[in-house]
Amino acid sequence: MAENNKHAHNSEGYFREKHLMLDPLPRGQMNAMAMEAMHHSTWKFWTVFAILCVIVAYCLVYSWIKMILEGLGIAGVNRPAYWGVFLVNTVFWIGISHAGTFISAILRVFKAEFRRPFTRAAELMTTFGLVQAGFSIFMHLGRIWLFYWLMPYPNQRMLWPNMHSPLSWDLLAITTYLLSSTMYLFLPLIPDLAMARDRSTGWRKIFYRILALGFRGTEGEWTHLRNAMTIFAFAIIPVMFSVHTIVSWDFASATRPGWNSTIFGPYFIVGALHSGMGAVVMVLAIVRSTMKNMKYFIRPEHFDGIGKLMLIISMAWAYFFFNDYIVQWYGGDKWTHLLLHFHEAGPMGWMWFAMLICNIAVPWALLWNARWRAMPWVTFAVGLSINIGMWFERYIIIPISLTINRMPFTWRMYQPGVEIPLGIGTLALFILLYMSASKLIPLIPVWEVEEGQMVHELKKFGRETVVSVSDLE
Amino acid sequence: MATETKPSETNSSAEHIGKWGMVIDQDLCTGCQACVAACAMENNISFVGEEDSGYGRSMHWIRIERFWEGVYPEIKMTPNQPMLCQQCLSAPCEPVCPAYATVHSLAEHINLQVYNRCVGTRYCGNNCPYQMRSFNWRDYERPKPLDNQLNPDVTVRQRGVMEKCTFCIQRINKAEDAAKAEGREIADGEFTTACAQVCPANAIVFGRTDNPESFVSQLARIHGHGVKHLEELGTLPNVTYFKGG
Amino acid sequence: MSDKFSRRDFLKLAGVGAATTAIVTGCGPASRYVQREPYMKMPEYNYNGLSTYYATTCRECAAGCGLVARTMQGRALKIEGNASHPLNLGKTCARGQATLQGLYNPDRVTDPIKRARGSASAEKMTWDAATQVVADALKKYKPDQIAFLVGTAPDHLFDLIADLATATGMNAPVRFGALSMFDARATLSKAAENLLGKSGLPFFDVGGAQMVFSFGANFLETWLSPVSYTRGFSVLRDGQTKRRGNFVQFEARMSATGGKADEWIPLRPGTEALVALAIGRLASELRGGSLPRAFAGVDPADAAAKSGIKLETLKRLANIFAKSTGALAIPGGAALGQSNGLAVAEAVLALNAIAGNFGKPGGVFFSALAPTQTEYQRPASAKEMQDFVNQLTAGKFKALFVHGVNPVFELPASLNFKAALQGVEQVISFATFPDETALESDYVFPDHHGLESWGYQRVATGASQPVLSGSQPTVVPYYNTQATVDVLLAATKLAGGKFAQALPFKDEVEFLRSKVAPLMSEADGFFSALDINTFMAYFQQHGGWWKTSDGRGVPNVADILNRDLKGAEATFAGEGEFFFTPFVSPTLAEAGANKPWLQELPDAATTVMWNTWVEINPITAEELGVNDDDVVRIVSEVGTLEVTVYRYPAIRPDTIAMPFGQGHTAYGRYAANRGVNPADLLGANFNEAGDLAFAGMKVKIEKTGKVQPLSRLESIMGVYGVGMGKE
Repeated sequence: MAENNKHAHNSEGYFREKHLMLDPLPRGQMNAMAMEAMHHSTWKFWTVFAILCVIVAYCLVYSWIKMILEGLGIAGVNRPAYWGVFLVNTVFWIGISHAGTFISAILRVFKAEFRRPFTRAAELMTTFGLVQAGFSIFMHLGRIWLFYWLMPYPNQRMLWPNMHSPLSWDLLAITTYLLSSTMYLFLPLIPDLAMARDRSTGWRKIFYRILALGFRGTEGEWTHLRNAMTIFAFAIIPVMFSVHTIVSWDFASATRPGWNSTIFGPYFIVGALHSGMGAVVMVLAIVRSTMKNMKYFIRPEHFDGIGKLMLIISMAWAYFFFNDYIVQWYGGDKWTHLLLHFHEAGPMGWMWFAMLICNIAVPWALLWNARWRAMPWVTFAVGLSINIGMWFERYIIIPISLTINRMPFTWRMYQPGVEIPLGIGTLALFILLYMSASKLIPLIPVWEVEEGQMVHELKKFGRETVVSVSDLE
Repeated sequence: MATETKPSETNSSAEHIGKWGMVIDQDLCTGCQACVAACAMENNISFVGEEDSGYGRSMHWIRIERFWEGVYPEIKMTPNQPMLCQQCLSAPCEPVCPAYATVHSLAEHINLQVYNRCVGTRYCGNNCPYQMRSFNWRDYERPKPLDNQLNPDVTVRQRGVMEKCTFCIQRINKAEDAAKAEGREIADGEFTTACAQVCPANAIVFGRTDNPESFVSQLARIHGHGVKHLEELGTLPNVTYFKGG
Repeated sequence: MSDKFSRRDFLKLAGVGAATTAIVTGCGPASRYVQREPYMKMPEYNYNGLSTYYATTCRECAAGCGLVARTMQGRALKIEGNASHPLNLGKTCARGQATLQGLYNPDRVTDPIKRARGSASAEKMTWDAATQVVADALKKYKPDQIAFLVGTAPDHLFDLIADLATATGMNAPVRFGALSMFDARATLSKAAENLLGKSGLPFFDVGGAQMVFSFGANFLETWLSPVSYTRGFSVLRDGQTKRRGNFVQFEARMSATGGKADEWIPLRPGTEALVALAIGRLASELRGGSLPRAFAGVDPADAAAKSGIKLETLKRLANIFAKSTGALAIPGGAALGQSNGLAVAEAVLALNAIAGNFGKPGGVFFSALAPTQTEYQRPASAKEMQDFVNQLTAGKFKALFVHGVNPVFELPASLNFKAALQGVEQVISFATFPDETALESDYVFPDHHGLESWGYQRVATGASQPVLSGSQPTVVPYYNTQATVDVLLAATKLAGGKFAQALPFKDEVEFLRSKVAPLMSEADGFFSALDINTFMAYFQQHGGWWKTSDGRGVPNVADILNRDLKGAEATFAGEGEFFFTPFVSPTLAEAGANKPWLQELPDAATTVMWNTWVEINPITAEELGVNDDDVVRIVSEVGTLEVTVYRYPAIRPDTIAMPFGQGHTAYGRYAANRGVNPADLLGANFNEAGDLAFAGMKVKIEKTGKVQPLSRLESIMGVYGVGMGKE
């Protein structure tokens, strides 16, 4: 076959530029780059940080205290929409957190090498996203100061939580997920913390020394670490599936028209991955463009890889949405039909169409093209569109669907109140936590990158240059 | 099937005492709202004001629903439908409360709301097919001396707590206590709920549905075409409606 | 009720609380409330957990339903109906239930005050000074310069003043209430005088009927005696023990009563008499025989054309009326509140002659007069009130005492009651609440709330027996108020001379005894006693005295079908395309606006809470280009109002309707500055009997462009499909 133009260039240089795994740098240098990225901050960073602190103080802290003192009346929930944006945000943040687990666990298990530089960035999203989800679910409690009654603890009155309730399952599932993903974040972080310890002075050294748990990098320690990570990788996959299934059962176990649908389990998981992947590319694009040295670690190839995943997941989501819709439609239940019609043609019909455009049309239009996929800001835009679309999807499922029920005398639109500043506050806190983390821990797992670079090599077979990967595990 | 309970044998609250139910005749209900007012006065229900009541936050434990049929001039009001907690035997609100704040009473066969256990997740409100649950969205003010009127037999609810019709369980308990103290059964008609007591059209009748001789059971038998709302959901409501007309 | 007390103890302690808030004057009427007992001997209402029940009478309207108030430790907790009271048989309406929110209202008048008219500020006085003011007013002015304007309840105060007036040459007290204005009682009374043999309030035995034709009478809401009529309706509808009865409602706007009807006939306002006579004629023709003179003057086809009801419908209705074994025709409500209201009443009453139901079960009676009453004393009609206002304006009265009525709010603004007060030197109000009239008074000497009061109320209609319903205090007066009867008694004593001689009673209780004592010699009482103390104790305990025998009068209708009944259409005042039909809010009635739970009750027809609305047919609304929650301006010949639109499907396109009860400018935080008062649009137009032609106006509608959302309990989406999306 005729030689492709691309191959006319210095093929090795081309490959080195395109693929991180084929572009090794001395390990010490990569570590130094990661440390520099942590230490280097600009006035822009601190300005944004300060603004976010103010937003968190007002939108989250002040508004929440006000709501606790005055009651949920300042939110927009009512009869029949007893649940509103708080639950939307909860599901949204849990959904985002799924991406981290998917990338660091599933991609690891499936040996998708392109995941290596950004697993930690994704895992941080999981942990911080779950924090926001936790806040959001606590916010919606009427008597939040008694939240501990939902936890199983022995007490004098011999009262336990009701395990029939999907909310109790939620509690267990999310707690499990938070704990396990935090540990799963921490495990691969240990070598990097040790690296940072060895390269730091002052308070940072103390900080890293405590967290690194004395890791010296001996063969025995690495073996234990790898075993632990492997176990966790396999163990956390079912947790990922179960968490969002259980969250979906908050709705699917209810009697409401539009909620009582068996497809919710996988539908929500796919939806979570959909919005999570979109959030990952958004974070990566921002990290890449704002942090020093990140352009080396995070390359267009990664956006290309995630972009392919986003496209596939978008198709899966479209299937599940279609499934949910068509089953409800041919089921023929009068109230469900009313609800479906209300979704499309009611006053919030624009949101329904926007959801479909953002979740399906935009990804399908843009992510087919390999060149576009590789552009960070294109995938960023698609990721943003997907996140908006998925937020709309949950808004439609929760407050808009709750408007319609079997007692038409009670139907009433939902208008969010203090949920908006509180939601903005959680978003600001998420970014704030992320920015803090970027200053405190190395965002790139250099040892994993190095590990990958060691096993990738270019081999020439005649005129073809091929990337070969030797098996690590 | 009537179950006899010898008061001398009872010392457990789980002992079966009676199955309380209601019959509501929509043909008779005039929509006068006397039941709504009586319920509010009896059960210390807060009034929420114009803004909240228009936003679906009124605290009515019973409400009269009416719809329209036809177009002017052939237009009719549908028979007024007093809607209250149906005290379902298979209540969808019960399994979903994570704190066990809404449970089934084995003794009276009604659905209980335990105010001091409610954490306010409002799942029960979502799951009630009749949408009869009211939530305390705020601490609604009762300027003095309006609070003099509060019924000491009924808890005053705090913000963040769900509430609903209890079939005037305070009256049920009083009657049970009196009957137990005197070593007898509660007589049919010895007491009734606030709404049934006040209804000028006698549209609401309350009593023991497990006693075939009670007025409630007799009405249900004679009338013949009672309906239970949303029966197809399998909630087994304790309220039978006569559409009449 | 506990039987552990002797009757003497009962009399002493009934209505008396522990001496915690008692007035320690030791003398005067207030000393009744001071008792000293050893701590060991707790009054029965002080036992923890035990309730004490007192029978009394509701004062929220003039009907006189018997109540039983549950109290615990001196607080009134719940109102129930008195199960043995013949009028309501243990039931109350929503307003009776909420009367506790009047007793414990945060905006009551707490002390006697002196104020500058129209200003909200006031200075407190002592009761001694207040009594002196009243005494001075009585002495200072000539008897015919003193006027008393009282409400339709309580009757015992009315009787006291009437006796005082008779003895001293003062003018007889004038009674008025908005409810009686909207009931058109003068019209009913006059129609009875013309057709039934004497004036009086007719009673319509709905419970005994089988087919009721109601021309505008909203008897399930506020008309005359709603609890009793609702009971009658439930008996009418009973399909278990007998054949289910039907009723047809003839009105331009479907009221809550009309909503329960089996058929609603939306006839054009003003044509009720024509339609009634047409039905009468058609029914007579069906019966055969000679056509009665009463129905001879009407042409059914003409009636059909003018009313907008098809002739076939009229024929069908006439058929069922004629064929029914228990037909009953009732005139009332807006049908009588038109220029030809008397003709309407007569035409409808005449219909009953076809059914031949006068004095028979299911038919028309004269309401039983209360014991010892010889004739029905009706409240003043609007025309009589206009005469009264003219007298005020002319300065005929130097002193005006007002009790139990709020004429600045209840009378149409066009009658200018407020301005007329300029002609009065001293206006003394006995209002319990700071209402608009109290605000225009020089003094407010607050009466107790009804639940804190002694008294009686005659049951004017609704019961078959003669009933005198009794009131007693259920709690110690919460504030520094005094019973107006006691104030008058003290003042007349102070005034001395003929005033003191006219009312030789120590206090209100003694006055009551003097009025109740004659009942001891009446026959057929449901209780009797040999001595007055026992009798009074029973009177208190049972909440009144009534006979066991039927006291309803049989109308004398010998030549009713021979009358020349006029069936002309009504004339309407004002210019505009729309007939204006105000109706009394069934939840607020005339005085309920200051009770927050009444405000929170949804209106039976529209489910709107906390506001006023104007009902417009959706077709008309579309033509006008207005939608729900738009604010429109209603323009009548005497005033304008801005009010929010409710698109109401069960009203004629040429008619609009508005509830009466809101629109206060005072009267407490829950009532003030909320909604609008349709009485502001009503001109001084009267029907032949002197009642206000409140439904006799035509108005214009203008758009304002403003929006003010209404709070509805219903979902506008679920009930009307608004905002549900295009089909």
